[in-house]
Amino acid sequence: MIEVEGLTVRFGGVTPIDGMTVTFPGGTCGLIGPNGAGKTTFFNVLSGFVTPAGGAIRAYGEDLLKMADYRRARWGLRRTFQQEQAIERLSVFENVAMIHEHSSGSRASRQSAVGDALAFVGLEDVAAQKVGGLGAGARRFVELARAVVGKPRVVLLDEPAAGLPEEQTEQLGQVIRAIPQHFGALVILVDHDMTLVSACCETTAVLDFGRLIASGPTADVLRDERVVGAYLGTEEAV
Amino acid sequence: MDASTAVRVLVIVALLAFALLALPILLSDYWIVVLTEAAIFALVALGLNLLVGRVGLVSLGQIGLLVVGSWVAARFFFLTGLPFPIVLLISGVITGVIGTLLGLPALRLSGLHLALITLMFAGLVSIVIPTVNFPNGGGGVLGHTESSFGNPAVRRPSIAQSDPAYYRYTVIVIAVMFLLALIHISSKAGRAWAAIRQSEAAAIAAGVNITFYKLWAFALASFLTGVAGGLLAGDEGKLYSIQFRTIDSITLLAVVMMGGIYSLWGAWIAGLLQQLVPALLNDWFGFFERNPDFVLVLFGVGILQVLVTAPEGLVNQVPKDLRNLGRLLARLAGKATGRSRPAT
Amino acid sequence: MFPGLADYKPFLITGLALGGVYALSGVGIVVLYRATGVLNLAFGAIGAMGALLSWTLINHTSSPHWLAYLVCVAFGALVTFAYGVIFGPPLARRDPLVKAMGTVGLALILLGIMSYLWPPKARTMFLPSTSWQYHIGFAGLDVNWTQIIGLLFGVLVTVGVAAFLRYTRLGTAMRALADDREITSTLGVPVRRVEAVAWLGSGVLAGFSGLLLSDLVGLDAVGLTFLVISALAAALIAQLRSLTVTLIAGIIVGLCTALLTPILLWPNATFSVSTYRYGAPFALAIIALLVMTRGRRVVSISRTDR
Repeated sequence: MIEVEGLTVRFGGVTPIDGMTVTFPGGTCGLIGPNGAGKTTFFNVLSGFVTPAGGAIRAYGEDLLKMADYRRARWGLRRTFQQEQAIERLSVFENVAMIHEHSSGSRASRQSAVGDALAFVGLEDVAAQKVGGLGAGARRFVELARAVVGKPRVVLLDEPAAGLPEEQTEQLGQVIRAIPQHFGALVILVDHDMTLVSACCETTAVLDFGRLIASGPTADVLRDERVVGAYLGTEEAV
Repeated sequence: MDASTAVRVLVIVALLAFALLALPILLSDYWIVVLTEAAIFALVALGLNLLVGRVGLVSLGQIGLLVVGSWVAARFFFLTGLPFPIVLLISGVITGVIGTLLGLPALRLSGLHLALITLMFAGLVSIVIPTVNFPNGGGGVLGHTESSFGNPAVRRPSIAQSDPAYYRYTVIVIAVMFLLALIHISSKAGRAWAAIRQSEAAAIAAGVNITFYKLWAFALASFLTGVAGGLLAGDEGKLYSIQFRTIDSITLLAVVMMGGIYSLWGAWIAGLLQQLVPALLNDWFGFFERNPDFVLVLFGVGILQVLVTAPEGLVNQVPKDLRNLGRLLARLAGKATGRSRPAT
Repeated sequence: MFPGLADYKPFLITGLALGGVYALSGVGIVVLYRATGVLNLAFGAIGAMGALLSWTLINHTSSPHWLAYLVCVAFGALVTFAYGVIFGPPLARRDPLVKAMGTVGLALILLGIMSYLWPPKARTMFLPSTSWQYHIGFAGLDVNWTQIIGLLFGVLVTVGVAAFLRYTRLGTAMRALADDREITSTLGVPVRRVEAVAWLGSGVLAGFSGLLLSDLVGLDAVGLTFLVISALAAALIAQLRSLTVTLIAGIIVGLCTALLTPILLWPNATFSVSTYRYGAPFALAIIALLVMTRGRRVVSISRTDR
């Protein structure tokens, strides 16, 4: 469980997150909202790249904001980025192993941990191939493998299916759904593809202008008037 | 060890043997001295190659650190009777520490700002040097006397007194340093550096302590530069005629870029470019006697060419060609012995 | 130990004059950077070569002086513009470091050419305005018109460029480009034209400052090339943004270097502050960079090609 309370982020006159209070109960949670709502900024706060001006975040009862940024991976935080981060001239195995090396360290368990992650996403056959030679879909799965290797506790996925055709998005969705059960981790999924979000996430939170405007079971949230309004724009007088 | 690595090792050993055994016989003393300097600069280039190519940190202050290294070595030659290799280690370590300290404020800078601040450092050093009449060679710890021309105690290892012998000694030391660099790159540090170079954010998200690894990179590069400084201090007379100008820091980066920043071979090409080419041009085209700085045009063009067309530098072609050569040889060998490839 | 006030006075004048020229160079650097993302480190080298060309025209041909000066400024504009046209587009999407490195390449080429065409030899550039001296009675100071021009144009250029950016259409477009490139280009702003004006304008300033500095400081290729550091320091103190701060910072840098000159005996005769005065711009630039980035966390998100 992740509890966010009164989180506020300010830089240079802009307030991307403005008093955000929400609880992510567990399993796979969706985080949606129009562009600029603050979703990636929220991930950056969790990762430690951005220091909030106020508020608190408790993950599994621990104060996340007190931890140094690089220590969070060791604690169990994993994430993907909108831009692919795998190193092209290294193999799939080496790319995933690198994460394990710096977040868990134990050499003995590396082979099995990486193997397990690769098998989970279905890439065990191409483990020795260089990432540069893989197709777009496979590369997304590499990013996913990097996000689940070791003992993850919180997995942040930032638009993992962007640009993928429908069939591969569905495949990705199935794998994502299985993460909480297989690894015991909480997943927060940010995406614009509502089909993917409905398929994977039991609960969803909606951000707009840095504030929470709705949260709860995904199906209910997606039907909520306020959410539709946020995406399409309403004629409310300011 | 697979076939391509074996070929590569063989090529390196062959080149090393050639450099150590054949060249001193083939070349005159003048060229041996030039090659010694090229080798020393290759070591400095190696440090920069690691910083820029492996970690993505552009430092223009390496020449400043070279000065520090050679000054430390010269002092230790003068004040103590420690054996040559020990002095090399000491100058390496001290320069490493200083380089790390300099790297501290630079940690929160990157890209253009880091390059600028290191350039300013190199500039400051280049201004201080002529005013203290470096290397001066006076007495005491600081080694400074009022008179302009002191005589720094230049010492060479007892087993390598002559120019050719010193050349061989230098080449071996540098080969060892390259090995050190190679070990680093294939280790956990090397992988952390690759992650940092690609994206600091992703590296942090993967658990890499980027502060620590960046400092380590500075420390290693500075250590290498310090050892190079020590070797330079043993190069009789050179310490005077080398001007440690700000522009040399810039040309060093230029040749490292031209030599190729993604491969360690690039450092060797860089060293040769910086020392050998001007000497060659000087020799062949007497008119360069007029002003050796004309070679700057070459470096300038080199930079622009690399930036616009081949961000990986000239060297990336070489490993590819070597690999192709290796494959060709393997195929020919297979044909010659009449053996055919086993069906898969 | 410390020189008296009277000893400082002449250096006050040189400091102000140089400061003015650093300011106008700084403005050239800042505006170009904001409009194109290119930090032109070849600024000094371009001015140096222009000045050397002028010198050759004056001393080895029968060209009228005014033509020679025009050539210097025109050369500055031409070379800078040509660089912008040839190397601007291929490097446009790259990191600011890469773009700055490109100008370093240009500087090296120019330095090489200069060292070949003009072998090191003492040369002087003597602008006619230097012979028109003026005596400031109440302060007991002598000042020549080149120095006045230096300071005056420093102020005029800053004010003029600031006005241009604020009140003209092209200037507003330039400011928009500086703020957000992508959005601006989609708004139908003639990006190429705006950039061309920026390159040309900063080139003119490069030539002009080269001419003034060759008189005020000396006609030496390497020396003039590295004077860009002083202009750079001013630009950095202004965080590559505010023109007013660039002006003030330029004058401060000029004054710092000049006013350290008479301090010949402190801390002692050998290591006097005066001998290290040329390090002042470097030190100021370092301080500016450190202050500029204090508290800021730089975390790169995507791979940048170098």
